[in-house]
Amino acid sequence: MATRHKPIEYHGKNIEFPYENPAEEVIDDEYLHEHLAKPTTERTKRLKARCRWKHCAAGEFVDNSVRAGMERMRYWTEGHKASDGNKDVIKRAICLQTFLEKCTVILQEDEKIIGYHAEEPTMVPLYPELSFLATQDYIQNSRYAPQPVEEAKEINEYWKKHSLLSKCMPYFEPYELERMYRWASMEAPAFATGFNSIVPPYETVAEDGLLKRIELAQEQINKAKAELAAPHWNAPERLPLLEKIDLWSAMIMADKAVISWARRHARLCRIVAESFETDPARREELLEMAEISQRIPAEPCQGLWDCMQMKWYVYLMCHAIERYASGFAHKEDKLCWPYYKASVIDKTFQPMTHKDAVELFECERLKCSEHGAGKSRVNREIFPGSNDLFILTIGGLNRDGSDGCNDCTDAILEAARNIRTTEPSIVFRWNPKGRLKTKRLVFECIRDGMGFPSIKNDALNAHQMLYYARFSQNNNGATPEEAHDWANVLCMSPGLVGRRKTQKTRSEGGGSIFPAKILEITLNDGYDWSYSDTQLGPHTGDPRTFDTFEKLWEAFRVQYEYTVSISIRAKDVSRYWEARMLQLPFVSSIDDGCMELGRDACDLSEQPNGWHNPITTVVAANSLVAIKKLIYDEKKYTMDQMLDALYANWEGYEEMRRDFVNAPKWGNDDEYADAIIKKFYEDIIAGEMRKITNYSGGPVMPVGQAVGLYMEVGSRTGPTPDGRYGGEACDDGGISPYMGTDKKGPTAVLKSVSKVDSTTQKANLLNQRLSVPIMRSKHGFKIWLAYMNTWYDLNIDHVQFNCVSNAELLAAQREPEKHQDLIVRVSGFSARFVDISKYGQDTIIARNEQDFGAEDFDFINVSAEELV
Amino acid sequence: MATCAQCKSFFPVPENADDFAPGKGDCVREVKDEKGKYWLSKPVVSDMDTSKCPFFSEKV
Repeated sequence: MATRHKPIEYHGKNIEFPYENPAEEVIDDEYLHEHLAKPTTERTKRLKARCRWKHCAAGEFVDNSVRAGMERMRYWTEGHKASDGNKDVIKRAICLQTFLEKCTVILQEDEKIIGYHAEEPTMVPLYPELSFLATQDYIQNSRYAPQPVEEAKEINEYWKKHSLLSKCMPYFEPYELERMYRWASMEAPAFATGFNSIVPPYETVAEDGLLKRIELAQEQINKAKAELAAPHWNAPERLPLLEKIDLWSAMIMADKAVISWARRHARLCRIVAESFETDPARREELLEMAEISQRIPAEPCQGLWDCMQMKWYVYLMCHAIERYASGFAHKEDKLCWPYYKASVIDKTFQPMTHKDAVELFECERLKCSEHGAGKSRVNREIFPGSNDLFILTIGGLNRDGSDGCNDCTDAILEAARNIRTTEPSIVFRWNPKGRLKTKRLVFECIRDGMGFPSIKNDALNAHQMLYYARFSQNNNGATPEEAHDWANVLCMSPGLVGRRKTQKTRSEGGGSIFPAKILEITLNDGYDWSYSDTQLGPHTGDPRTFDTFEKLWEAFRVQYEYTVSISIRAKDVSRYWEARMLQLPFVSSIDDGCMELGRDACDLSEQPNGWHNPITTVVAANSLVAIKKLIYDEKKYTMDQMLDALYANWEGYEEMRRDFVNAPKWGNDDEYADAIIKKFYEDIIAGEMRKITNYSGGPVMPVGQAVGLYMEVGSRTGPTPDGRYGGEACDDGGISPYMGTDKKGPTAVLKSVSKVDSTTQKANLLNQRLSVPIMRSKHGFKIWLAYMNTWYDLNIDHVQFNCVSNAELLAAQREPEKHQDLIVRVSGFSARFVDISKYGQDTIIARNEQDFGAEDFDFINVSAEELV
Repeated sequence: MATCAQCKSFFPVPENADDFAPGKGDCVREVKDEKGKYWLSKPVVSDMDTSKCPFFSEKV
């Protein structure tokens, strides 16, 4: 039987919580989620049953059949060698062209959306030109190594001297590289890991088609050549045109290659229809798919099926073929709406029902689920239970300020709720104007335990786009209308979407630093005694000599500033070389700014969007609170005593540890703790970071979050003064209370979080866990909606929810095979629970399950009458 | 010596295709594993030697 929430006395009324769906009352708590998947059609049911998941656990692919492919590295290298002597941007186009001409293309049974990026659907491609270190890791692994392995070794050796890493390394001292590679106080630089993210301008391909983009590039070349040949030669004005002509030429080569590659898919569909398929209905469908890939992405999209296929081809190009990049950033409901309208409402092209549209979105979710990212081991480790950071955005407002929710938004949410896959995650932009019908679907996805949509404050983030626009180096940042066109670039940080001004590389925003470790080394004069045995930061003095808390505060500031500066320097050095040797002819061709100005996507920045992710901030903040209270204010212990206890991992210091554990903690609306922590976020975490100016000329702002790094870095962080043992996980979100320490209910958390001025941060992740019996009760939606409206009124940036009981999580630990559909929110992404290590699973179980009481109902303004 | 052109997996690239070249074709194979069926298409040239191709199957 399901657990029903006990009645609550509220304003003299006894509120009962029967289940909204009475049939659920007989389902055992331990098996609830196995009853929730309802694929919309028989096709998506079959596709899910045969999905070739590429989830990782502890850095390894869960499915034993996954291995690295050879074609991407082989043909890319072949192109690189053959193009010797050409300008770099042309070389990049030739590499792309060579791969697309020679690669294997794949069609799978039942698929409606086609395309893959390796020679077998079980394979992941490799990118030695980005990181020969990551490639080496695959080669050394007998389970994954691309075959023949000798050829792979030879190719990887070739790239050592041509790689981004080799270009960037000379600008750093060996000790600086060592500090970065430790992954202890900061993330290793992307020039070593090859990790990247991008926001493709899908809109130009949907609206123009690539043939039009080729035409535009040719016009630019013609104009430039005419200018070169004009009377009165002027070298300073005209010589820069040479590079532009090269780029436009490379764009044309890239776009032609992509069209031809898509048409190879068209041919494959036709051949299978005519020579292999026996089912007449599927044969017809394959011929229709052939017709789509013949037209798309060459021509503008006309219907929803066109748009979905276009998106997948462009996704593969931008995220998996021209360069690896994580993410799935786009405002999906806005992008697809004209085509949804044409197909579902007006029925003028590819006529279909709403249910057919939902099926298409389910098909897309399954394509994402079986996509394989050939990323480095560490980047597989930090996203346990998932394959990659697929995150799309919906909701919010349109450019004219009207509600951005539409029937297409609903189809996307229905698909997510029905098919139940971890990818892609969804971000919902919460605005008071958002229609109730759509918010109800958002609720249903959350209530059903998907962990998404994660919710972002729409107005706050649109305002942020305008703030960054002020720093645009060509005075062409977001306009007030364009500021409404934003989506999360990855888990948390917003960025523009649309035909231009989108973020093209992670060297603009992304990458992490770890305040808990930074505090640990601050307490040890910059030295990391517990993990790397290395001087990780500058010498800031022996903390025993700090006679005031302010001196410790300032020492932390120095360590933090050092870590931020070197991290952003590494990103900008990467950017410098990305623009010179990792040009993106295809991405450039689909960006209106690159096309107009003749500048490569890695080079051009119209809208600055600088950010970096402090991860483990709350462990550091709670530790500072405990130090101030127990050492400086109450003087119950000396710094010396505390350090001795930490070096002993609290062993033999149990009573002292109890005091540090019981010191005030973040998330309880505690004035003492919150005042210190607010200052910590605003003065140091944001204050120091915002003093940096990055490649784009704008400030870098903090995006507090965690992904799986709160576990990974927790294991590398020694004992901390918040009472945490060495090696234990850190906090699971940028501004989330530490697991189990938020003891005053859900609204106390909101009150604490709202004290930090959201406009000082770029984003801050708030993880909350809600009671299943409340959420599934007949009052669930009313209570959640009131909570969300309060959250919005408090001007908080973000919130995401787990809604799964401990009974079910513990049952899944005991019998994982019976809980394959159990999904949890880790932090910024959702994961299949049974694919997470026990260490990680336990951190989710330890999170406080927030229950609502009468005081909470009062604070969120739910009347007793509404609940009767 | 058997060539790709003699194989049942060989499908010549039509003359109006973007990637047409004389003798060029698609080698299209159906594969079945525990997850289901899929088809692979790889560019080949009609006179390529198939003596080392494990998938060669003569057209009937």
